[in-house]
Amino acid sequence: MEKFIANLVKNFESGQIDRREFCQTVALAATVYAAGDAANAQTRTGFKVLGINHISYTCPDYTKARDFYTSVFGLESTPGKDNGKRANLMFGPEPGKGGSFIVARTAATPANPRPPSQAVIDHICFTMSNWDEQKVRAALKAKGLEISGGRDGSLHVLDPFNYDVQFANLVEEDPFKHGLTAN
Amino acid sequence: MEGFVAQKLNDFETGKISRRKLIETLTFAATATSAAGSAQAQAENPLKAQLINHLSYTCPDFKKAADWYSMVLNADQVGETKRDVVVVLGKKGEQPYNVTAKDVPHSHLVIRTPSAEPPARGGPRARPQSQAVIDHVGYTVANFNRAEAKAQLTAMGVKNVRDGGLYSLHMDDAMGYDVQLSGLDNNALTDG
Repeated sequence: MEKFIANLVKNFESGQIDRREFCQTVALAATVYAAGDAANAQTRTGFKVLGINHISYTCPDYTKARDFYTSVFGLESTPGKDNGKRANLMFGPEPGKGGSFIVARTAATPANPRPPSQAVIDHICFTMSNWDEQKVRAALKAKGLEISGGRDGSLHVLDPFNYDVQFANLVEEDPFKHGLTAN
Repeated sequence: MEGFVAQKLNDFETGKISRRKLIETLTFAATATSAAGSAQAQAENPLKAQLINHLSYTCPDFKKAADWYSMVLNADQVGETKRDVVVVLGKKGEQPYNVTAKDVPHSHLVIRTPSAEPPARGGPRARPQSQAVIDHVGYTVANFNRAEAKAQLTAMGVKNVRDGGLYSLHMDDAMGYDVQLSGLDNNALTDG
């Protein structure tokens, strides 16, 4: 990054780019800095996974789910993507840069029903950064939510449809320490 | 950010700061921008979700399911026990994609098989039945090309590979669970 900016300053000084272009380029570089080159590498076997794109959440009334996940966990309802039947609830990095979303939708009878799966996702867990136990518990209380399980650093609540939602910090939910902690 | 850059450039041009200082300041600002935004949002809401930590995936044969995800997503398995294993959507030592906070781990699947034994008396109370269901999960992969991915998945023996919208494919995992695969083009702004 430093070398890139040094070159940019040089180009500015030599008149190859103007003032406006200089400022825009530095600002753009800042927004893409975190991307690195991870997206350019494709593994030989299997795909190089970058993360969870979305979760499709089906329930009797998507508006209740939308309001819960936006008000409690700070997800953002994507502008223009709430059509009265579903909404895209964004979180994490920006859309198109690795961000995730929950598609909250009201159940409808499918035209071509799929055979039932043998698997079920029985709960989801969000990571919270800068976990502060007191603030987390106070925020839950302020929102009128009852803790349904867990321990310090890793708590559960039930959403409006009794779906189990966990939220945790790195200490309690580190994938590389699985087997040493409960989930 | 642009305003800040313009100000610093002005300081440099008027001799208030050196060339060296300009470069150092802009480098620091550029790399700190993302982290600062995240920290500010967290301060406003201590419950703000940063990323999916894990999905708890329960099925009759955790090993078979985990092997499928390892094959398709080139994902490592860690911490295997008698009843479960973790499939990590990222490599140890790397940051989750476009996440700068150091206390946010890779998203992962905790794939488990329930115990055949009845729950012990006095154990955890049963949860109420949920009215919601996660009916499929989408994963983002690098350099996704739908036609090439379809051929690759078919060659791997993945079942029921089918188109899903403009930017993705759907398929069945080893347990018949609906999985979607896409690139970065499939996101909250383009989906639906």
